[in-house]
Amino acid sequence: MKSIQSYLLGISLLASALIPVRAQESPKEEDFFKILKVSAPEGTLLEVGGLTMLPNGDLGVATRRGDVWIVENPTSRKPYFRRFASGLHEILGLAYKDGALYCAQRGELTKMVDTNKDGKADLFETVYAWPLSGHYHEYSFGPKIAPDGGFFVTGNVAFGDEEWWRGESRVPYRGWTMKIYEDGRMEPWATGMRSPAGLGMINGDFFYADNQGDWQGSGGITHVQKGAFTGHPAGLKWTNLPGSPLKLTTEQLYARVGPRQDKNAAGKYIKPENVVNETPDFLFEAKKQIPDIKLPAVWLPHGILGISNAEIVEIPKGVFGPFSGQLLVSDQGMSKISRVFMEKVKGEFQGAAIEFRNGFQSGVLRMAWAPDGSLFAGETNRGWGSAGTANEGLQRLVWNGRLPFEMRAVRAMPDGFEVEFTKPVDRASAEDLASYKVESFTYKYHPVYGSPTVNKQTHALKGVKLSADGLKARVVVDNLRQNYIHQITLDGVRATEGSHSLVHPIAYYTLNNIPEGQKMALSETSTRNSATAAPAKKGTTPAAKPGAKVGATAKAAPGGKLLASAAPTYDEVKGLLSRHTCLACHNTEKRQVGPAYQAVAKRNYTNDQIVDLIYNPKPQNWPDYATEMPPMPQVPKADALKIAAWINSLSKADGAKAADKP
Amino acid sequence: MTYAFSSPRLLLSAGLLVWGGVVLAQPAPRSAPSPALPLTDLSAFQKPSANWRIAGEASASLNQANQLTGQPGAGVLVNIPVKAEFGQQYNLLTATEHGDADLELDFMIAKGSNSGVYLQGRYEVQLFDSWGVRNPKVVDNGSIYERWDENRPEGQKGYEGHAARQNASRAPGLWQNLKISFQAPRFDGSGKKTENAKMVRVELNGVLLHENLELSGPTRSAAFTDEKPTGPLMLQGDHGAVAFRNIKITAYGKPRPELTGLTYEVYKGKYEQEPTYAKLPPEAKGPITELSGAQNTLNNEFLIRYTGTLKVQEPGSYRFNLGVPGGGGVLRINNKPVIAKAEWSGNGTVDLPAGDLLFELIYSKFVDWVKPNLGLAVSGPGVREYTLTNPIADEDPTDPILVEASTNTLLRSFMDLPGTPATGVMGQNSRGAYRVTHAVSVGSPEQVHYTYDLDNGSVVQVWRGTFLDTTPMWNDRGDGSSRPTGMVQRFGRPALLLTPMGSDQTTWPTDTTGSHFRPKGYSLDEQDRPTFRYITYGAMVEDQLRVLDNGQGFRRELTVQNAAKPLFARLMSGNSIKPLENGLYVVDGNTYLRLDTADGTAPAIRTVGGKQELIVPVKSKLIYSILF
Repeated sequence: MKSIQSYLLGISLLASALIPVRAQESPKEEDFFKILKVSAPEGTLLEVGGLTMLPNGDLGVATRRGDVWIVENPTSRKPYFRRFASGLHEILGLAYKDGALYCAQRGELTKMVDTNKDGKADLFETVYAWPLSGHYHEYSFGPKIAPDGGFFVTGNVAFGDEEWWRGESRVPYRGWTMKIYEDGRMEPWATGMRSPAGLGMINGDFFYADNQGDWQGSGGITHVQKGAFTGHPAGLKWTNLPGSPLKLTTEQLYARVGPRQDKNAAGKYIKPENVVNETPDFLFEAKKQIPDIKLPAVWLPHGILGISNAEIVEIPKGVFGPFSGQLLVSDQGMSKISRVFMEKVKGEFQGAAIEFRNGFQSGVLRMAWAPDGSLFAGETNRGWGSAGTANEGLQRLVWNGRLPFEMRAVRAMPDGFEVEFTKPVDRASAEDLASYKVESFTYKYHPVYGSPTVNKQTHALKGVKLSADGLKARVVVDNLRQNYIHQITLDGVRATEGSHSLVHPIAYYTLNNIPEGQKMALSETSTRNSATAAPAKKGTTPAAKPGAKVGATAKAAPGGKLLASAAPTYDEVKGLLSRHTCLACHNTEKRQVGPAYQAVAKRNYTNDQIVDLIYNPKPQNWPDYATEMPPMPQVPKADALKIAAWINSLSKADGAKAADKP
Repeated sequence: MTYAFSSPRLLLSAGLLVWGGVVLAQPAPRSAPSPALPLTDLSAFQKPSANWRIAGEASASLNQANQLTGQPGAGVLVNIPVKAEFGQQYNLLTATEHGDADLELDFMIAKGSNSGVYLQGRYEVQLFDSWGVRNPKVVDNGSIYERWDENRPEGQKGYEGHAARQNASRAPGLWQNLKISFQAPRFDGSGKKTENAKMVRVELNGVLLHENLELSGPTRSAAFTDEKPTGPLMLQGDHGAVAFRNIKITAYGKPRPELTGLTYEVYKGKYEQEPTYAKLPPEAKGPITELSGAQNTLNNEFLIRYTGTLKVQEPGSYRFNLGVPGGGGVLRINNKPVIAKAEWSGNGTVDLPAGDLLFELIYSKFVDWVKPNLGLAVSGPGVREYTLTNPIADEDPTDPILVEASTNTLLRSFMDLPGTPATGVMGQNSRGAYRVTHAVSVGSPEQVHYTYDLDNGSVVQVWRGTFLDTTPMWNDRGDGSSRPTGMVQRFGRPALLLTPMGSDQTTWPTDTTGSHFRPKGYSLDEQDRPTFRYITYGAMVEDQLRVLDNGQGFRRELTVQNAAKPLFARLMSGNSIKPLENGLYVVDGNTYLRLDTADGTAPAIRTVGGKQELIVPVKSKLIYSILF
């Protein structure tokens, strides 16, 4: 008893010691959602590929090393780990059904049963085996269990030999979603998948998250109905096989969007690169001729809400307070979890994605809910790298019951958006149009690895109406663009309580459809805009944010020009690195998804060469890194030059004086 | 004359390739291996005693001790001790002597027998019937035998000796392969030893047992007690029956070419063409004592040119291997290109006269992500390959991830079958070898293991010794494969074990088309040993392998239910299948198969397409054993 008391005492002391430091700032993620470790016997390697909660509260953990663990009392301080199975082939999913565990290995869906009741599986039944060519990238994910008891499993594409950048389906059904039944039947369900690592059953509907790459401009979550084509052409090779739910052929798709399989004078294939000055093609444009195409319900902008999206889970009833019923999507590369509010408009899912929690120790590949309402995060980054620098881990995300000031939901309106808050907002700030910013952009559909954000546009705001309870702001936006991602930034909105800013001030709404209905009369709205009305008045401008950490604009030097002689400091470029999503993959000193900036500095590029590489990266220069850098032509040249100058300053500081280390 | 350096071949596989350390000259195939000793008679040996004879073929009993027979013919050297006594006179010495040498031979040991291969007649690699031994000692097959000193107290007379890292032996009566790279002791002008003899490498049946092992002096029962720069190879004949074939000795020890008077010049810039040096001011230059990339402080876009004198004492054909990571290279000797255009690496062979030759080496580097380095290796007449360069080592090696089977252990992975070419895209690794994609490897504490192909219900390989190296699968992203680390016996391209046969001449199917083959997984018994299940041709098949006593191999039991048509099993396919006594067969001289129970009719050996196949009809039960 005594030891528990002193332990509790220790916590409270620690907490009180921290409070004064943060008192002036708006609260952050970690003030509401704590990341706790799950203790495991020393040496237990938990490169988590699958997580599932058993009916008795035990946690099933499957690993890339081929083990399946049953963790008893997983939310306690002393969980008990029992090895249920071992020797399986790089497991990337785990599910429980009727007393058995099911997992996707590389080459099959396996049912594991403990028939002799000794706590270990002794029957490993092949439910269905699919062919593999033996390419390393042929990973398989799942299963997720459909309402009819069927199992959804997805398969990665392989890559070409000479065209090492091109995803290809060497054997059926790579690049597909398969629906498999207990009796061994397999129903080809949908194709267009490239690296479908994230699966989720949401109210009986199957969703998946893909990873950015060729033909996939950015990650996102897609509602996968039978016969859907989600964008990557590799799997179309097999639409002629019996049972295929779609008839779209590779040739038909390529006739619409060219694969750019061009050769140079020496007869070698040329890797397709982003073309900056072109009229880009879009998945939603291609859909007009190819109705099989299924657009992402919600895009998760690359580098902001992830670079390799993974598991999709629904927040259960009564869990995580105001966010119950919404979705969480984890990300491996950025070691984070994003939140998605989804609604159905004109019969299709769409919605808003918002940052939720960063800072996991490794890449969050899998998630599972504990009965106490906390969330297990199963983690691995081996071979890919991640913002969290540990190679593996099992952690737990726990809400402390305090209500964060967040956008609870964003809903599409015929003439704009309705933002719902978790706490009443300060009327003066919320009725000021200067507190809002709406921009829209989208991604290209092309055979190039990833896409820059393109066709970016800032929308004029016409008015805002705040509900009487201060919980909903209806923003009237000029010229909504169907199919575009609308980036809604609420830097200026303050909570009544503590005048806090939003924990996450930006929502990304994928506007696949604009709802019909009553438009708001501008007479009902506030059209006040402090920025235009009173341009120079200090103190009233919402742009002066006390605790802002996202969307910080770089401070322009006087006259808008940088002095060429002095390299900028980290503090001077931090905002740019954050805004242009560089920090999603790069750190100053440490290797993450991409090389450390110090390592880039050692290459002795000129500033102009670095700018060129930002616009047209050469991943072949960094063969030790798994994830290609996408082209970033959206970064303004002045910003890119400033970043380049800062990067190059690192090689000079290297070793001698680490002056501006973050 | 100038040469263009081509753009590098980017061997990228989505960034997967691990440029582990230095891309340097790989150890080349050694200088052309010497032909095998012509075993048409015993003229290659000194005064052979009567226990040695030439035969065309040898065979030894699996069950009877020291029983080995030779059949008439040539090509095999057989030793059958006549008297049960020890003595140097029964051992066999080659007529020629060797110093540094590579030795390769095949041997067959009789049950319970004991022999040895003595380098220089002095340093013994033990040959022994170690079948079933789990922890080899110095007396076991492949070990370096201990030394002996009669003056030491009882129980301490034997000393030193080096046990094999693992038991890589085959069963008695099977052909085994031994490869030794040996370095002779060195002496100064006064005859004083300055360096011990060394086993550079000893491989038994493809398994590395010793590496860079120093020997302080002759081992027990050597032909000579002293140490000398050269000596004859000795094959031990006084301890038991043994046979040898394909004895190849590649002698080294000729003086190495030396580099002297070296200078270097570094030019800054991206040179994809060789420049005219006279017009260029070098960034740095000077004399050096050793060929190395270390003089150069530039990371990329430089050209470094080395010149000097290559002193050649032994005229003849020399082979050079050049590593120039991230760029191109040229090697000229006496102003003539030996390696005209290396891209990352290259090699060339040239006839060199004795004397002082002009040496010129150029390394131009322009691929920025590669670390600069330089490697040049050479082998020649009587000169074992050695490096002329001192490579820069600045990258950590990878820790291997090894799996031991201290209990019965299963592990699924891709499994490559070196020596079996791939067909099409199915089952192919990056080097074109057949890749089993649905493989399970099953390891046992008895140290015999096998890999089962779930796509065919076939055993693709068995091995003994240590279990698996999973580094290829579990390090970094990995390629999904693991590799056996012991003595492996592979059975060729996987195919169905069971199929119906229209006639005696029905070709065995190469895939599962028409069989409606469906894997059903496996169950584990109380000791975690699997029984596999699958459906083929409508029949439910249970397939079980269990370790035989003393780890001699496996007993395989198939139970077949509800077969719609009569099924046949192809138990083995090989170049030669010979029946022995009591249902025992020997396949290709390297595996025994024993048919224990078959409820169909008798087995038959047939020859189809130049291959022999052992085929037996199966009704409901088939039990056979693989001994190796």
